[in-house]
Amino acid sequence: MLVDILEWNGVATWSWDVPSEEVCGICRVSFDATCSNCKIPGDQCPLVVGECTHRFHMHCIVKWLEIETSKNLCPMCRRSFKAVHGEKQLGGSQVLSYIESFNFEG
Amino acid sequence: MTTSILTSTLQTIKTNWQTMSVRQRLLKEYRTLEHNNLDGINPILTENLHLLYADIKIFDNELYQDTYRVKIMIPEQYPYVSPVVIFMKSTEDNINTIPIHPHIYSNGHICLDLLGPAWTPIQTINSLLISLQSILASNSRNERPSDDEKYVAKAPKNPSKTRFVYHDETI
Repeated sequence: MLVDILEWNGVATWSWDVPSEEVCGICRVSFDATCSNCKIPGDQCPLVVGECTHRFHMHCIVKWLEIETSKNLCPMCRRSFKAVHGEKQLGGSQVLSYIESFNFEG
Repeated sequence: MTTSILTSTLQTIKTNWQTMSVRQRLLKEYRTLEHNNLDGINPILTENLHLLYADIKIFDNELYQDTYRVKIMIPEQYPYVSPVVIFMKSTEDNINTIPIHPHIYSNGHICLDLLGPAWTPIQTINSLLISLQSILASNSRNERPSDDEKYVAKAPKNPSKTRFVYHDETI
């Protein structure tokens, strides 16, 4: 069968590298959705992983850490919360620019 | 001028979002509460999203034969701030006693670190009710806090205004 490709569109999906049923312990919303204050998942509402391995929507954990009674502790294990940097940080911007690089038009 | 209008608009949006997030989480929690059917815990929801009650029964402890009721008030900053929880009576529903416990004052105020400095946003109304049930179930001392009379005489209406000293973690 001979086919001429006149046009094609690349489509990519993404999700955070966490089990899909896992929810943020603070807002109880799925990580692939946004924290309950945001509208668009991804870059604008990334996840943060602590050294203790517990993860939250960035906005949720930041809001908690800003409160005095949090004493900077992880809500899950009450160890001092320190965000992991580097690869494990699940940087939202990398994911988005990756998607953009596949943005074929016409 | 324009900037200040913008700022105030942004502020309004921000406030709305905050209320929205409390609402969203509470609705989820209420759904779980209604479906979970915890043994001895009967939540009573009201039309007000920020107010509910729960009737608690204790099994296997001679000290607590009655049904006890707690009133749970949810602050706007929930879940970053703990709910305010007090034991109450209701003659209408035949709930006539505040449980006697070394950490429960006769006016219904509860001295529990979970309701203060130990609260974290991963706690839920559900987990709080289970904790309350278990502090009663595991208690064997038929007494009020030693400063009950003094505290009740001067206690603020809202126990979250009280700075409790959590003297005994073992009870």
